Amino acid sequence: VRRLVLARRTLGSLRSEKTIVLAIAIQLFIAAFSSFLVVGLVSLYDPGATEGAATVDVGVSGNASDSLAPVVEERGSRDVVRYDSRAAAMQDFRNGTIDAVLHGVRQPSGRVIVSAVAPEGSFRTTLVVAQLKEALSEYERTLRAELSHSLERQPLDLPPERQSNPYFSFTYTVLLPLLSFLPAFISGSVMADSLAEEEERGTLELLRVAPLSLPDIVDGKALALVALAPAQVALWLALLAYNGSTVANPLAVLALVTGVAAVLVAGGAALALGIGARREAQLLYSFCALAAFGAASLLPQSPQNLVARLAVGSPTALTWLSLAAVLAAAALGYAALRHLAGESAD
Amino acid sequence: MNLGKILRIARWETTRSAGDVDRKTAAAFVVVLVLIAALVPALLAYGPTPGEGMYRVAVDDDSPYHDVVESDATLAAVEPSPGAISAGHAEVLVTPDRIVAGDSAKSRAALAALRSATVSYNDRLMAQEGNQSAAFPVVVSLQYVDQNLGITGQQSGAEPSGGQTDGTEQSGDATDGTADGTQDGGTATGEQTTDGGGQAELPSGPSGGLGGVFGDSQSGTPSSLSPPFPLRSLVLAFAFLLPLNVVIQAYGSSVLAERINRRGEPMLVAPVSRGDIVAGKTLPYFLGAIALISLIAVAVGAGPLAVAAISPLAALFLAATFFGSMLARSYKELTFVTVTVSVTLTAYAFVPAVFAEVHPIAAISPLTVVVDSITGAGTEAGAFVLATVPPALVAVVLFGLGTGVYREEDMFTQLPIPSKLLDALAAPLTATWRVGLWTALFVPFVLVAELFAVAVLFVAPVTLSVPLLLASVAVIEEVAKSIHVFAGFERARFPRDARSALVVGAVSGVGFFVGEKLLLVTQLVGLPSIDVARVAFSPAVLGLPPGVLLVAPLLLHVVTACISALGAARSRVAYVGALTVAAVVHVAYNLAVVSVGA
Repeated sequence: VRRLVLARRTLGSLRSEKTIVLAIAIQLFIAAFSSFLVVGLVSLYDPGATEGAATVDVGVSGNASDSLAPVVEERGSRDVVRYDSRAAAMQDFRNGTIDAVLHGVRQPSGRVIVSAVAPEGSFRTTLVVAQLKEALSEYERTLRAELSHSLERQPLDLPPERQSNPYFSFTYTVLLPLLSFLPAFISGSVMADSLAEEEERGTLELLRVAPLSLPDIVDGKALALVALAPAQVALWLALLAYNGSTVANPLAVLALVTGVAAVLVAGGAALALGIGARREAQLLYSFCALAAFGAASLLPQSPQNLVARLAVGSPTALTWLSLAAVLAAAALGYAALRHLAGESAD
Repeated sequence: MNLGKILRIARWETTRSAGDVDRKTAAAFVVVLVLIAALVPALLAYGPTPGEGMYRVAVDDDSPYHDVVESDATLAAVEPSPGAISAGHAEVLVTPDRIVAGDSAKSRAALAALRSATVSYNDRLMAQEGNQSAAFPVVVSLQYVDQNLGITGQQSGAEPSGGQTDGTEQSGDATDGTADGTQDGGTATGEQTTDGGGQAELPSGPSGGLGGVFGDSQSGTPSSLSPPFPLRSLVLAFAFLLPLNVVIQAYGSSVLAERINRRGEPMLVAPVSRGDIVAGKTLPYFLGAIALISLIAVAVGAGPLAVAAISPLAALFLAATFFGSMLARSYKELTFVTVTVSVTLTAYAFVPAVFAEVHPIAAISPLTVVVDSITGAGTEAGAFVLATVPPALVAVVLFGLGTGVYREEDMFTQLPIPSKLLDALAAPLTATWRVGLWTALFVPFVLVAELFAVAVLFVAPVTLSVPLLLASVAVIEEVAKSIHVFAGFERARFPRDARSALVVGAVSGVGFFVGEKLLLVTQLVGLPSIDVARVAFSPAVLGLPPGVLLVAPLLLHVVTACISALGAARSRVAYVGALTVAAVVHVAYNLAVVSVGA
């Protein structure tokens, strides 16, 4: 019960300092920032991603025009203007009448040499180049099929093309892991702060005069901070679901976050107790967290990958085993912390 | 300021830091750092894919598509069964005669992933063909040409390759471009003036620097074309800014530690000025940051200009942290302040740099100078000034504000951050004219904030971005003109009556008008050629008589500053209301100017 009181006080101090508001604001900013970035980047070169994207006008010239032009025009996002000479096409390109020029010359071997021209240093450059790339890849497939008699191996047919959300993979492999691990990392950091500060101010001594042992004090603080991480992540999951990105195993994701938060909080607390000064403890905590995350990325299923698999709904047996391992590590780390606290209390 | 004293404090700060660390902690630091150093090559070699096994494809072991699925980490092969999709065991089902996918968003994403994996698989397959002109029947050479000024042969090899259809793809799988038979081993750098003839090769990018990591080599097949993609800026941002976070964490702790248990008191009563203390405490961290930046610059192959460009940013990181740790009440609060500082400044450096090699807007970010330094493109003097001067000025002002509250009555009291902030803002306002001075000093903040707003908004269509930008410019400028006026009234620097409010407001407005001339720096790099930027920075250059041009903005700034000062003199609520009114007046003025100009 006393631990709960202490846990409540820890949360209360976070609330009164409005730090929790700041923490959520930061996460919101990071989420908005990375989403903005990806939406911005994708719309740079994926015309289908943004509504009402403009078409790219492509000038086609050269003796391969007859086979090249229809392929370029196949897509609604591209319009073809045919020219008799490359010079005429370049003339219009410089005037800005067309966005790109493809000059195709067919060689005796059947190969087509295309010189492509795209606008320089313009915001549309990326989009234009992406369109050219798509058109020329399609053209390559067409020609390859025509020349298939002189090939020993035959290329595979491409799977059918369907409209898909270009942000889908980003949401599950970057955004969600980021939003899951950031609260856990901050919880561990605040745990180190909280203990180091009590120690530096000398108030840890005061707390121990109260009928609380050091393990109790650590317990109370850790309880509050470990619980805070999944609570924030639950908020993000709800927000994502509201936006149409459903999360397949929300409870498993929250369990994973709780486990990671417990490991990090135990680590932060151990460092703060062992070192006693905030600057060194905090630095060492950041480095350790970084190293731990890096090392965990070498596992067959990294933490980031675990979140992605659980959230998107493709967990394997190994995913569940890894989750169990994280929870076991959390329990172990916590037990070690209690032991350490008990020792330094004596 | 006394150099000898500053150096002595700096030395003291360094030795004390080193002396504080006991042997066990030092050993732990060494172990962890060695561990991290060992992990980096392992991670680069292993290249973990965060999306590994996300999409399950039901495919038979002897189907040709089984190899495709095996070749892409995001795809995982599962046992095929007719009901695999409806049972939720797989997203895509490959049968001998066709490929079926479900209708969920995940299934469609899986199908797209399978499709692009098949394309790369085919390219690898064709690379083994004897008859290369049939295997790769299209050879393309790409040239970038300016649409208005004529041909300027431009680098086509300098763009980082590896920008696959998925923007979030990491550099781990830069395997494309190795599977072509037409590559000619060209080692041409940067400039290329290929003419539309029969040349069948594209130059590979400059080797060295980051090039090796990303596999810059480009071949002439269509799939090797890579649209200009800011992968390089992305990696650079993290390479340069992550170490700065470490520095500010240590620095913030050190500053706040002075404020705990009145530890800083002996220093305050020593015969040194506040400026000396702050400069001395900061110097070791700043030098450490410069050393780190130089190391990274050498590692990524950037020149001294890159170091010079990042240094103001490092100073800004330190300045913001210093100010934050003067306001924070506890380490917990400091942690959040530090995270806020690093996230905000990273965004400032990062967002415009995304457009490096694509658009002039990138000149705002110091990282662009770094990118240019690596590619050898060279930086114009104007662009360098724009990238470095605003952050440097903001850093100086923040240090000034923080030093203002580096005194006994503020350091050792526990107050909420907003109230400490008011203290800090009110502290320098010892005379009325100083209001104008500080308004002028806030202009770099205005510049930085407006530059950031432009960088964020210029992607949006003009009909949306221009009104949004006008509104944010008005709000930013009105806040800059009035926030310290409000602090002054709250901290009883001025009597709360209408007369002093009008005087203070007018002084603030004039100060802003004078300081605003600093914004002329944006003209140097041709930023106004962007629609959005023109609205933000030179709304008045269009077809008005010169007298009006000079007097009208002065009048505007004085009037709006007086409106908000009148509110500030009454109460907090009145201030917010008056600020809103002032912003509306400002927007109305800007709209009028824009429409007159158009």
